[in-house]
Amino acid sequence: MSLPEKNFDVIVIGGGHNGLVAAAYLAKAGRRVLLLEASDRLGGALATEDITPDYRISTGAQMIDMLPRRIEKDLKLAGHGLRYAARYVPTIALNPTNGHLVLSRRRRDIEVLRKKSARDADAYLAFSKRMKSYAALIAPFLDKAPFAPGQSAARSALRRLVWRGALLDAASREALLRDLPGSIGHMLDDAFETPILKGALAFDTLVGTAAGPYDAGTVLRGIYRKAQRLAGAGAWVPQGGLGAFVDALAAAAAGLGVTIEVSAPVARILVQGEAVVGVETAAGETFHAPQVLSSIHPRATLLDLLGANRLDAGLVARLSRIPTRGATAKLNLALSGLPTIQGLAPAEYGARLIVAPSLDDIQEAHAQAKRGTFASNPVMEVTFPSVADPTLAPVGHHVMSIAIQYVPYEAEGGWDDKRDRLIDRAVETLSIYAPDLKQRIVAGELLLPADLERKFGLAGGDWHQGELRPDRLLSFRPTPELAQYGTPVAGLFLCGAGSHPGGGVTGMAGRLAAEAALARRARA
Amino acid sequence: MSDDTDLHHPVDLAALADSARADPALFESRSVEPVFARRVLATPLHMNVAAESRTNLWTDWNGYTVAEVLSDIEDEYRVLRHAAALADISPLFKYRISGREAAAFLARFAAGDISALRVDGTLPVVFCEDRGFVVGDGLLFRLGDDEYRLVTEEPHLAWLLDSAIGFAVQVEDVSSTLAAISLQGPLSARILSAANFAGVETLAPHAARWFDVAAQPVYVSRTALSGDAGYELWVDPEDASHIWSLLLAHGAPFGLAATGFALREIARVEAGRARAGRDYFGAFSAVEPESASTPFELGLAGLVDLDRGHFTGRNALRAAKSAPLRHTFSMLAIDWPEPLSFIGIHAGADMAGVATSTAFSWSLGKNLALAMLKPEFLDKPRKLHIEAEMRHGFEVRRVIVPARLVSGPAPMGPKP
Repeated sequence: MSLPEKNFDVIVIGGGHNGLVAAAYLAKAGRRVLLLEASDRLGGALATEDITPDYRISTGAQMIDMLPRRIEKDLKLAGHGLRYAARYVPTIALNPTNGHLVLSRRRRDIEVLRKKSARDADAYLAFSKRMKSYAALIAPFLDKAPFAPGQSAARSALRRLVWRGALLDAASREALLRDLPGSIGHMLDDAFETPILKGALAFDTLVGTAAGPYDAGTVLRGIYRKAQRLAGAGAWVPQGGLGAFVDALAAAAAGLGVTIEVSAPVARILVQGEAVVGVETAAGETFHAPQVLSSIHPRATLLDLLGANRLDAGLVARLSRIPTRGATAKLNLALSGLPTIQGLAPAEYGARLIVAPSLDDIQEAHAQAKRGTFASNPVMEVTFPSVADPTLAPVGHHVMSIAIQYVPYEAEGGWDDKRDRLIDRAVETLSIYAPDLKQRIVAGELLLPADLERKFGLAGGDWHQGELRPDRLLSFRPTPELAQYGTPVAGLFLCGAGSHPGGGVTGMAGRLAAEAALARRARA
Repeated sequence: MSDDTDLHHPVDLAALADSARADPALFESRSVEPVFARRVLATPLHMNVAAESRTNLWTDWNGYTVAEVLSDIEDEYRVLRHAAALADISPLFKYRISGREAAAFLARFAAGDISALRVDGTLPVVFCEDRGFVVGDGLLFRLGDDEYRLVTEEPHLAWLLDSAIGFAVQVEDVSSTLAAISLQGPLSARILSAANFAGVETLAPHAARWFDVAAQPVYVSRTALSGDAGYELWVDPEDASHIWSLLLAHGAPFGLAATGFALREIARVEAGRARAGRDYFGAFSAVEPESASTPFELGLAGLVDLDRGHFTGRNALRAAKSAPLRHTFSMLAIDWPEPLSFIGIHAGADMAGVATSTAFSWSLGKNLALAMLKPEFLDKPRKLHIEAEMRHGFEVRRVIVPARLVSGPAPMGPKP
C-alpha cells in the first residue's frame, strides 16, 4: 500500500464498527480522515463469512440491538445499502420438557406464562416495569461522555439522577437500593418461581461476561444493558448478516470522504514533544495527523503503540489490570434443513432462542469455567439467521448460530483435545430440544475465545475490551483519567469498546470519542 | 509525656487541644504493632554489633533489630565528628534493577535526570506517583551498563514492579542478600587504607568501586547519608562479619567505634535530610492527599527535571510547580544548651507546623529540628518558637524558646 497523501486531520486506528463510526462522524464534520485497519477486512467481530461454501453466517455478533437510531440516520446507512431481514426479533426461553416461553409483555405471551405460574405472570410485568424504570435512570448517561470527577457538570448530573430517583415511588426507591449492589440470581429468585424464566432472564443479563449469576453487581449490569437497549430500536438483523451492516457503514464513511486502508497494521503512534503527530505502519509507512483516535483495546493502544515510557506508571499499572477475558464461544453450523424443535411454532424459528433451563444450570456452567473447563450442559443463545434471510444458505438449507456462554479462555490442560468435546456437548444439549439436529449438520466451525481474539483482533476474546463491571463503567471506564476519551498525550483519543459505554454493536464509543476530538480541536 | 505530668500541667490542656494539630503518638518511635505481629529480624551483623553494646539499648528499623546506642550518645557523636563511626545499615532496602531497558525504566521512574549517571557512580533520586506526590527517595547506584541498585529507606518493590510494566527490565529485592556497613567521619579514609582497601583515597565523592579485601569482594561507595565525609560498604552477608571485624581492628588506633541508630538520626538531622516514613509520608502511606508531599514541598526541587522526557508524575508536577505549596520542609535551630524534646512549632498563638525529627547537635551547641511548616510562616517571617518541657527533680517546667529558620544543612566538618 502506498497512499499519495500522507497528511490528514485525523487518523483512526482500527476498522471495527466503532472506528468506522468515529471516522464517519469526523469526516462529516469536515475533517480529512484516514482509517487504518490491520486485517484484510473491516468490521472486526461483525462479519458475514462462509462456514463452508454457500453457507454464510454472521461469524461473530448476531444482531443489532443497541445501535441508537440517531447514528443510523446521521450516517444515512439505509442510503448505503443497509436493509433489515428481521426487526424486533423476539426472545424465547426453550423448555426441555414442554412449553417454551416468549419473553415479552404481550398479553398472549403473558397468558402462556400464567398457565405455568400465575404468580410469575404478575411478577413478570412488575419486574419488567421495575427494570425499565431503573434503566431510565441510567439511560441519560449513556449518550454523552462520562463526567470528569470534580466537574461541576458531574455534580448537577448527579443531582438530576437523585431527582429522577425521587420520581420513583418510595417502594421502588427502597427496591433500587436493595437490588443495585446485588446479584441477578438472588433478585430473580426473589421475584419468580419458574426455572426457565429465571434462567433466560439471567442469561440475558450475563451474556458476554465472565461473571456468574450470583456475583455481586450483576443487577447493575442488567440495568445497564437494558438502558443500552432502550437507546436502540430492538433486536434487528441486517439482510446479509452483520457483514452487510459493516459494508453500509464503510460505504457511508467512504461517501463522507474517509480514506480507508485495510491490511495496514499500525506499529507505532508517533509523538513529538508531548503531542501526537501521526502513526507509523508495520510496513514502515508514516502518516501525519494532529489527532489520532484508536478503537483497539486501550491497553494495546497505550502500551503497545504508544509505549509505557510516555505514561505515568500508575496509569500503566491500572491499564494492565483491565480484566479482559471473554467467556463466550461461538459455534456456527451449516445445516441441510431446519431441525425440528418440539413445541416451537414455525413462525418462532426466527427468534432468539435461549437454552438456559435454570439458574442452577448457569451457575454450574460458570463454576466449570472458573475451574478451566466447561459444563456438560452448556448454556447457549441460538438463532437460525437463514430463516429470515434465505440468501445465507441454499434453498431449503439453513445456518445456525450458537453462542456458548462460560467457555474459559484457557482450558485446564489446553484446548486441543477439548474442542470436539465442547461441540459434542453443545450439540447433545441442543438435541434435547431438536432431536434431528445431528443428522442435519453439514459443516461447522467452533470459535473459542482465543479464536475470536485471533480472528477478529478481540483482545482476550472479550468484545467489551474490558469487562463491564460496576467499577469499570461510566467515569471509571477504562480508567478514571481516560474516561473522557482523551489521553495524557495531546491529540490521542480512545474510541473503542474499552471506553464508555462499552461493547456491543452500539457505535456510541466511536461517536462520543469523535465528538470529544472535535471539541478539543475547536478549542485549540 | 507521662500521665503524671499531665495531671499537674500548668496550662489548660483543654484549651490547648483546640490549637493542637499534631498527635504526639505519631512521632513516637515505639512500634504500635501488637506483639504477635512483630517481625524480629536480625541483620547479618547482629552478633558483631551486640558484642560492641555496653548499653543493651535496641530499636526497630524497618523490622530489623538494630542498636539504638552502643556506648554513650555523646561519645558516639564525638567519634563521628573527630574520628570515624562504624554502623550497621543493613536494614536499608536495596533493589537490583537490570535489563536492556533499565536506563529507560529509571528515566521514567525517577523525577530527576539520570542520564549523567556513569558506571560506578551514585545519584540521589526522588520518585513520584501519577499525582506528583513523592513515593520515596533514595540513592541510585550504577553497577554496570544495564545494572543499577536503588537503596531506599522504605520498601518500594510493589511500586517498582508496577513501574516496570512495559519495560524489558528485571526488578529484584536484594535487601536480605546484601549487608551494608557505614563508615563515617574525618578519619574514615585513613582507616580504610589501613584495612588494605588499596587506593581508597583516589575514590572521588559520590563514586563507588569494587575492592578485594582479604579475598572478599567489597563494593565501596564514597557516600554518606549525612553528606559528610564517609563511605558505605556493600558486602555479601556471609562476608559482612569479617569486614566489620577487620575495620574495627584496623580502626581502633584511629579512635574508631561502633555506633547506633540514634547517632545516625542526629547526623541526618544535622544534614537536613528528610527520612521517608518519619519526616514525610510516602504517597501510598498517606491516607489523605493532604498528608502527601510533592518534591517541591520537601525541598527536593533539585532532584526534579521537568524539561527532559516523560517520567511518572511530570504532568502533575508541572501544574504543582506554579501552584502554592501546601507545606514546606524546613530546618530550624533552637538555641538551648541541652537536648529538648518538642513537637509543635508556634508563631504567637498560631501553630506554624510540627517538628518531625529533632536532635541536639553537640558541635553547634543547639537543638535542631526538621519541621513541616505552613508556607505562610516562611513568606513573611514571623517569630517562631517552640514549647518544651524541662524536668528538674519532681518539677516540670514549660519553657518557650525562640526558633529560627536555617537555610541549607548545618555546616558540619569537612565536605566530602
